Amino acid sequence: MSQVLHPIEKTIIKLLQSEKNLTEQQIIEKTKMSVDQIRRGIEWLRLKNLAVVVESEQFFVTLGKNGLAANKDGLPERKLVNLVANAPVPFDDLRKKLLDDMNVAIANAKKNDWITIVKNESGSIVSLKSKPDQTSEEKILDIIGQNKIPQSNIKDVQSLESLKKRPDYIITESVKTKTLSLSEQAKSIDVDAIDSDAIDVEADVPRVYAARTHPLKDTINEIREIFVSLGFSEISGNLAQPGFWNFDALFTPQDHPAREMQDTFYIKDKLASNFASKSQIKQVSASHKKGWKYPWNVDVAKKMVLRTHTTCVTINYLAENKPSESRIFSLGRVFRNEKVSYKHLVEFNQVEGIVVGKNVSLRDLMGIQTQFYKKLGLNKIKFWPTFFPYTEPSLQTMVYNEKLDKWIELFGMGIFRPEVTRPFGITRPVLAWGGGIERIAMLKYGLDDVREFYNNHLSWLRSTPKCQ
Amino acid sequence: MPVVTLDLTRLQKLVGKATKAKIIDALPFLGLDIEEQTDQYIRVEYSPNRPDYATDVGIAAGLQGLLGIKKGIAKLEIKKQKDKIFTIKTNPAVKKIRPYVLGLIAKDGKLDDEIIRQLIALQEDLHFGVGRKRKKASIGIHDLDTIQLPLLYTVKSKDHKFVPLATDKEMSVTQILETTDTGKEYSTILGNCVNIPIILDSKEDTISFPPIINSALTTVSTTTKNLLVEVTGNDSSAVVDTLSVVASALRGLGFILHDVKTDSKSSADSLKTRTILLDPKLVSQTLGIELSPVQICNMLKKCRLDAMVKGKKISCLIPSYRFDIFGPMDLVEEVALGYGIQNLSTTLPSSVSIGEKNKTTLKLDQLSQILIGLGFTEALNSSLTSKQILYDNTKRDSTKLIEVAESKSQEHTILRDSILPGLLGNLSQNIHEQYPQKLFEIGAVFSNGSPIKESICLACVDAHKDSSYTEIKSILQSLLKTDSNIECQTKTSENSMFSKGKTADIIVNSNKIGIIGELDSGVIENFKIRVPVSGFELVLSDFIL
Repeated sequence: MSQVLHPIEKTIIKLLQSEKNLTEQQIIEKTKMSVDQIRRGIEWLRLKNLAVVVESEQFFVTLGKNGLAANKDGLPERKLVNLVANAPVPFDDLRKKLLDDMNVAIANAKKNDWITIVKNESGSIVSLKSKPDQTSEEKILDIIGQNKIPQSNIKDVQSLESLKKRPDYIITESVKTKTLSLSEQAKSIDVDAIDSDAIDVEADVPRVYAARTHPLKDTINEIREIFVSLGFSEISGNLAQPGFWNFDALFTPQDHPAREMQDTFYIKDKLASNFASKSQIKQVSASHKKGWKYPWNVDVAKKMVLRTHTTCVTINYLAENKPSESRIFSLGRVFRNEKVSYKHLVEFNQVEGIVVGKNVSLRDLMGIQTQFYKKLGLNKIKFWPTFFPYTEPSLQTMVYNEKLDKWIELFGMGIFRPEVTRPFGITRPVLAWGGGIERIAMLKYGLDDVREFYNNHLSWLRSTPKCQ
Repeated sequence: MPVVTLDLTRLQKLVGKATKAKIIDALPFLGLDIEEQTDQYIRVEYSPNRPDYATDVGIAAGLQGLLGIKKGIAKLEIKKQKDKIFTIKTNPAVKKIRPYVLGLIAKDGKLDDEIIRQLIALQEDLHFGVGRKRKKASIGIHDLDTIQLPLLYTVKSKDHKFVPLATDKEMSVTQILETTDTGKEYSTILGNCVNIPIILDSKEDTISFPPIINSALTTVSTTTKNLLVEVTGNDSSAVVDTLSVVASALRGLGFILHDVKTDSKSSADSLKTRTILLDPKLVSQTLGIELSPVQICNMLKKCRLDAMVKGKKISCLIPSYRFDIFGPMDLVEEVALGYGIQNLSTTLPSSVSIGEKNKTTLKLDQLSQILIGLGFTEALNSSLTSKQILYDNTKRDSTKLIEVAESKSQEHTILRDSILPGLLGNLSQNIHEQYPQKLFEIGAVFSNGSPIKESICLACVDAHKDSSYTEIKSILQSLLKTDSNIECQTKTSENSMFSKGKTADIIVNSNKIGIIGELDSGVIENFKIRVPVSGFELVLSDFIL
């Protein structure tokens, strides 16, 4: 229990320690504090179990429009007997005077046995039986008068109920009253003894948000760390690349559907120059002519594209360095000319690892994959054959996702085709594997819309825990 | 990737001797991804290099091999004809428009709606892939019994008239090109030629108008028993490849194939098997498993190829429709499939290497850490963005913008030359979130060079009711000082993005490396931000990387 009391709470407790039960109104009057202050104080005390609040409901009555009129001029039946007090009066004459009250007046006067009605040839005539005393209903009208009085003050409940049946005679109002008393615990609090420097350590405080790296960046960094821990070194390259390195060097024929503008972003009015050595261009050209049987055109290879994969960086590195033993990886943005949707972005991150070595094999490639996924916490994996234009053999990894309860496709892998490596004088096998990072990050953060990563909604950035 | 729908009962009948469950389990090991599965149907995605998997007969042949029901080549027997009627003569004039043609006759088969549906799907797939949207090759399949052989592949003017497929009224070629869907879609293939290619039969009836549409006369239906296939195109190997896939599908469907001669070559001669020699060493090296030559032959046979040991090598016989096989390495993959990927255990390379991040990554990580220490949260934006955000809203000069062609997305058309506009865009998306809002981003920006220069930039924005030049300059100083002990100067300047009198160039060693200031109120308004914003942007590549 919090030992900290607000001055308002202290005042109320003190007051109630001398006077056992007080209504809200009484507390306001005695403390001379505002309604809001007292109401807040009562609520705090109630939440802390220091005060018991009993709500009671009381009814008050006032006269309505017709009630006030009847109190002044008499009830309709009183008006009637006053009219016939001296001599009998024909029915029709009475109606002219009483108007709308006529029916009620006749009915009640007859019920009270105040009048007799005699019928003759010219109509009915009303005459008085006996001059009546003040009725109990009239007494009630007198008691209420212009005031608002508790309904409980009126003892003749039956007559009050009958008046209530008359339209707009009696208005009943309900007033709720809160009566406050102290709980046993509060009765013994020594209000003056409580340390006034203490604060409510249990109360809510304003939220502050830690500045942080982007959640997707956390996944990127995690993957980078895994590569480094597996003995891979990072290489990087430009996002805008000549078609030569993005496609031609990877044995993608120049009329391949993937090279069309519907799939790849071409940069307007930009052509590459000095993008490769003469012999590299010559060899690639020869490889295309031999493999795909078409006249390869260097001008098509000059067109600048936004890289569609990081493999262009890899092949460029291999062509320039011709390593005999190597483990490298490249990570970064890649682009596809797609309609943006919950599962497609025009720009996303990809990672790709390469192992070059004398005796490296497909089984080694599968082994490295297995280690990679293990480090990501994915232990249930399997491999399926697939097709990639520049690797042979080619496999894809299927990873079992517990949350979704299904196998999902993750990274692809394969050994670079001789048609890719031979033109650059690379003779040893090149194991390659990689894939999109957002896909892994989506699984990690439980997202079903990939766009969330690039929306930069602070509500999401501030609320996503680092540990998933 | 193309998708094919398979009727499981039909498929099981075609495969024979295998349960449905066994078939479904084997599909992924043919390289077919299961997209959707019900009790009756299964939808699989196949690779574009295997158009023979566009039909269930093709997939069944693959499954038979993998499951050991039938191995080796499914031999493509094409009956040679001595009869001169089985020919397609070519008018030399057509060589300039669409030079290559091959034909094939398929007799005594049975067609039902499902088979016709599959043949159309196969045709469409071949048109798109191998045929490169009908440019390199296109197929016409006709009811042979409506045709009077021999055929003539010739040219006609655009006034030439016939009743095209799926209509009942005669149309001129011009009308077909201008009013029909396929006409409009593929007319560019014919370019501006005055004449167009036409195939006529000996009665001079129009059979086909390649690559646009067939004639209604030769429409194939479920009562058709004998077929004529013609493939035309401007790439001879694409024409052969296309015909080979159709031929193997028709063979699988039970048709008996007959040769058709053209001026250059007959289809039987075109669709011959090839031989590739495979060194068993390449197999063991690449896959990391020791297999005897006999074992390797067996694996290849399981992939519906023929193979025999020839000295130290393996001689492998490849059917014409497997034009995806370029050389020995492709055969290694076939061996792997025959062996079963699931049977390969994993190993690790024996070499040792020590990994490292590159220097740029380390530097950028360090800068991020400092900015986080200064209370800034990282944002990530696309480097392909819009003119609206990059130039219009920020009042920046757009004369040197770098644009991509034919983007499918309006918001992604221009390569960014600055990071700040994107961050302002982020602030405008977060106006209902708690302030202060402090964001940073590090990323590539693009400018004109030879041909394009890429630099790495860092930008910060600081948005709250008391945000000021002084505060953001303190951040800038602290960042550079903490990172590299760099002292920077700020020199009065003007920039349309920033308020006049509250902006400066950032100078290090008398070089301008960035800009800093309080954002212009008009710019803030353009982004619908309701609090003052200050910020800076540094070109890291110019001084720190």
